[in-house]
Amino acid sequence: MIGKDRIFTILNGILKKSPAEQTEAVFLGTSSGQTRFANSYIHQNAYESSIRIFFRAVVGKKIGVVSTSSMLKDDLNSALLNAYNIAMNQCENPDFTELPSQAVYQRVKSHYSETAKFTPMQRAHKIKMIFNKATKQHLTVAGRFFTSELEVAVVNTNGIEAYQPLTSAAVNVTIMGDNSSGYAEGLSRDVRKIKFDRIAETATQKCLDSANPIEITPGKYNVILEPKAVAEIIEWMNYTGFGAKRLEEGTSFLSNRAGKKVMGENISIYDDGLDPDGLPMPFDFEGVPKRKVVFVKKGLAGNAVYDTINANRAGVKSTGHALTPDSSGETFSLNTFVAGAKNSLSSMISKTEKGILVTRFHYVNGMLDTRKALMTGMTRDGTFLIKKGKIVSGIKNLRFTESMLRAFSQVKMISRDRQAINTWWSDVGCIVAPTMLITGFNFSGKTEF
Amino acid sequence: MKEYLLETIKYLKRKRVDYADIRLVSMTRESIDVKNGVVEGLSSHEDKGFGIRVISNGGWGFASSSIISPPELKRIANLAIEVANASATTIREKVHLGEVEPYVDYYATPCQEDPFEIPLDEKLDILIRTTEALGTHKSIRATEAFMTFWRTHKFFLSTEGAFIEQDIMESGGGFSATAVGNSDAQRRSYPNSLRGDYSTAGYEFIREMQFLSHTERVRDEAVALLKAPPCPSLEATIIIDSSQMALQVHESCGHPTELDRVLGTEISLAGGSFLTLEKLGNLKYGSPIVNIVQDATAPGGLGTFGYDDEGVKAQRTDIIRNGIFTGYLTSRETAPIINGKSNGCMRADGYNRIPLIRMTNINLEPGEGTLRDLIADTKKGYYFDINKSWSIDDKRLNFQFGVEAAWEITDGKLRRMLKNPIYTGITPDFWNKCDAICGKAEWHIWGIPGCGKGQPMQTAHVAHGASPARFNGVKIGVSK
Repeated sequence: MIGKDRIFTILNGILKKSPAEQTEAVFLGTSSGQTRFANSYIHQNAYESSIRIFFRAVVGKKIGVVSTSSMLKDDLNSALLNAYNIAMNQCENPDFTELPSQAVYQRVKSHYSETAKFTPMQRAHKIKMIFNKATKQHLTVAGRFFTSELEVAVVNTNGIEAYQPLTSAAVNVTIMGDNSSGYAEGLSRDVRKIKFDRIAETATQKCLDSANPIEITPGKYNVILEPKAVAEIIEWMNYTGFGAKRLEEGTSFLSNRAGKKVMGENISIYDDGLDPDGLPMPFDFEGVPKRKVVFVKKGLAGNAVYDTINANRAGVKSTGHALTPDSSGETFSLNTFVAGAKNSLSSMISKTEKGILVTRFHYVNGMLDTRKALMTGMTRDGTFLIKKGKIVSGIKNLRFTESMLRAFSQVKMISRDRQAINTWWSDVGCIVAPTMLITGFNFSGKTEF
Repeated sequence: MKEYLLETIKYLKRKRVDYADIRLVSMTRESIDVKNGVVEGLSSHEDKGFGIRVISNGGWGFASSSIISPPELKRIANLAIEVANASATTIREKVHLGEVEPYVDYYATPCQEDPFEIPLDEKLDILIRTTEALGTHKSIRATEAFMTFWRTHKFFLSTEGAFIEQDIMESGGGFSATAVGNSDAQRRSYPNSLRGDYSTAGYEFIREMQFLSHTERVRDEAVALLKAPPCPSLEATIIIDSSQMALQVHESCGHPTELDRVLGTEISLAGGSFLTLEKLGNLKYGSPIVNIVQDATAPGGLGTFGYDDEGVKAQRTDIIRNGIFTGYLTSRETAPIINGKSNGCMRADGYNRIPLIRMTNINLEPGEGTLRDLIADTKKGYYFDINKSWSIDDKRLNFQFGVEAAWEITDGKLRRMLKNPIYTGITPDFWNKCDAICGKAEWHIWGIPGCGKGQPMQTAHVAHGASPARFNGVKIGVSK
């Protein structure tokens, strides 16, 4: 870990020499331990230490971005000069006014030294415990367990000085049987809070319960989507619907529908970078404080997430959702929440006369018709048939093809409990989702296992 | 620098590791994105660092750093050993690597015009004029044009004596126009979706694409799609264009033949494969006209290189021959399990990632005739063009693809355009329905720079050569 003072000293020292009118530096420094396992042994085990520093140089309305992985003074100076030269040869961006100004950030506890110091041997020890449990049941284990430490800093010549140290720990476990599998996962900034025993037990039970799966005919079914499955859908809504550009260009399901009903009254989806139930992060990669943004409020279409340039174009304020400076103005919800209600998974199962329980999806794609949030994907690692309020067997996996506007208009029950789901951006956020019972969910195909 | 790397190899030998290799990678990327006439992204990135892979006590370990200095090389070497020793506490069998010649060599991809030397204003001019030409219709709400260039320099050294240096230049780009109507949005892309087309080449590859010659058609087709009727739901004969065939090969032939997936080591994210070991040499994957090779030597392919990231020389090997499944994509660790030698498919997406089995250029060999001939030979069917959506199950059997546009074919001629076309199938069943593949004149090797795999996610640069092909009895239009 380099530390706030040293990072500010280095970056401010470089920015002082900038020939540009305005300059920004974004620092990302990470150390992580990545342990992957399959067939009940560790087959990939890695330690990574890397640094990335972005410079955004501004001349009038012309912007140049350069990044480097080197902390050497000469390399940093060269990168900054390169950013300036690109800006000088750039075209003007009419939507740019100025880099953000000095801001105040909410204090957020996001770093746990126990996570940062977790060793390869400690990770192996936790994983072996899962191997031992599975072996007793004649099952095998696959998955991944990582612990990481990240420092994010944003400094600019308009007075922004933002720094946040973050840690993350996540484990996902797939228990494999002869013809079935079960999945569970855990995620926290504090590795001590991950319940390895429970994760192993849940995945094991799903594997055992879905053994010898039966084939059912595709069609419309009442479906219970567990949090991982809901999060996979929300992730695609995020790609195609929650960003400012998608809203503006008219391809988002929220476009031109502000205040109009797009989902059921029991559905609210929002971004909150400060909610401790997720993985909080108080500012974005321009140093703008995170603001809560509501995408869907009680079924009504809401807003999108903005950085400063998109906000200028739309005549609104940045919501604190800029990505790194090389992201070509794309914005993204990094801390997405689906509001819970007051039900439980067991009550949903008991109230289902005939239906399907889905643990997770595989390879969801939301590009089919983005205005309808039409998506497709496969079930995976624990798909069950429910009859007369009870899980009666595992079933072979199914393909869904469904408009999520229609599906989320037919949600009958939502759980109180929500789970923070690991994503590829879990150093700086996650998706927090409940379990949902949806009626008439369209399964359009099937596979052979 | 070479001396530091050789010293580290000596140090690792003194530590009596079973095996070790070092990759020192230096990558420069320039990326330009123009949207609606405005340059929204213009960035240059330098990435440099090293990764050390070690087998110690029979377990794998890997460590990496972006600080390149003798003390850091030693620190990272020790960390890699520590990580390997932790892995070793869980193994039942020690890692065994198949033999490979320890090459000492230099390789470079050909490049006529260095894209990093082309003046910025020339690149911006093409991209801005492209989006301006695309935007000249009131229904077009978003236009985008982009180029990306990579220059990668790699050293590979191993405790077995390999010392390989490579320079890889990659270039590519494309554009798209999105039309928005009252209830839907429709996009057309050139020359492909998925960020265009890419090659191990220089700026000459951009010039050959001739962006401005294609803007009018792309714009008009995006607008026309708004008023086009939807693709019907039925079983039909379809002709799939070359670029979508590339993705079909990628998802339903490339990924399932990765031997690490078959052996279960990618279960935690990407999944497994239906191509279990007993199917090698026995499975009728497709009709007899289906021939697929992995060819890391194909000129211009985005998956072309001299040596993989284990120091194995680039090769061309059969995957499917005359419709029969004949080969996997392998590594030094996995190939001996099927009594074979690595066919050189291990690559990492940077210095800080472990090499994985990745596709190289997985090419569907050309058949005969032109696309015009094939359409003329089709009494009733549909022509599907350019990918829009993709999904396949975790054993690579049930797939569903959406494309940007389709056209009806009746009596050998293309008729009206259709929107939101989708087709679905089960992999071997689908490939056995292939009754025609167009010839060399229609064959193109499509560069795909965004193939994801691994945890943390690695993005590989791969390619697929393909011609348009015809399939009978395919379920289309399945969305509700």
